[in-house]
Amino acid sequence: MPAEIERLYDAHAQSLYAFLLNFTRDENDTRDLLQEIFIKLAREPKLLSGVRDERAFFIRLAHNSAIDLIRRRGTRERTKENFAAEMISPFAPANEPDEEVFRDQLSEALGRLPEEQRAVLHLKLWEGLTFEQIAGALGISPNTAASRYRYGLDKLRERLRPLYEEIK
Amino acid sequence: MNEFEKKLSQQPLKQIPAEWRAEIIACASSQSNRTRSQTSRMPVLRILHEFFWPNPKAWAGLAAVWIFIFALNVSVRDKSPAVAEKASPPSPEALVQLKQQREMFAQLIGANEPRVADRQKIISPKPRSEWAEMKTV
Repeated sequence: MPAEIERLYDAHAQSLYAFLLNFTRDENDTRDLLQEIFIKLAREPKLLSGVRDERAFFIRLAHNSAIDLIRRRGTRERTKENFAAEMISPFAPANEPDEEVFRDQLSEALGRLPEEQRAVLHLKLWEGLTFEQIAGALGISPNTAASRYRYGLDKLRERLRPLYEEIK
Repeated sequence: MNEFEKKLSQQPLKQIPAEWRAEIIACASSQSNRTRSQTSRMPVLRILHEFFWPNPKAWAGLAAVWIFIFALNVSVRDKSPAVAEKASPPSPEALVQLKQQREMFAQLIGANEPRVADRQKIISPKPRSEWAEMKTV
């Protein structure tokens, strides 16, 4: 089993890390959730039997874990406003100042989106999944995935337009 | 995908810290070993788990049926003594009425004459020769 865990980690940990970091905006939470996922699989290796799309399966696990965490925390710790203000960026640091500003703005704009829209945007833009794959991973319909993507993208465009037009 | 979407998707995401790999894999592996040792320590539980696991709902349903039958059985068994205990003793009026009926019945069938059973008691066991004497007297 350790060899299998290593294989799974090497195959999926990076994309799960990015997804969870974009979702939680907290390194410690991301690490805890990631560890929780791999412990769960180590305890119950049968969970993977019969799984056709490992990536979708992992994303679903990660999404459910992140939702559970956010519900546990709920309103007691964060409101949307201070969440966006204190969040950690999911993006790598940029070399150019303009790009750095754009990434910061993008990170903040993403952080202000509802979680369900942010999840769909992340999977579409940075994982390159189709709406069908996103729907399968998140347990929603492809139409719902597509509409969440459109709404989320419109909000990002609206918030980032001035900066985007400037650096384009 | 339009220009804006392309621009967004080109933004590189952070890399997972390299040191996490060893820590998370070690933690998950230790959990895996612990689970394995627990199951190997309790072979009975493992066998039971393997036996019941394929159709847990079916086994649960069967158990529920057995519990229902048991409960039904207990409730039926409980009722009969309860009815006997709850039955009230006959009232004095009823006893008096019963006594009157007995007396009336006795009068009707001729209570003055000794009953067959009593007559047999009167005749003491004696040899047949003495019986004959009694008859002649």
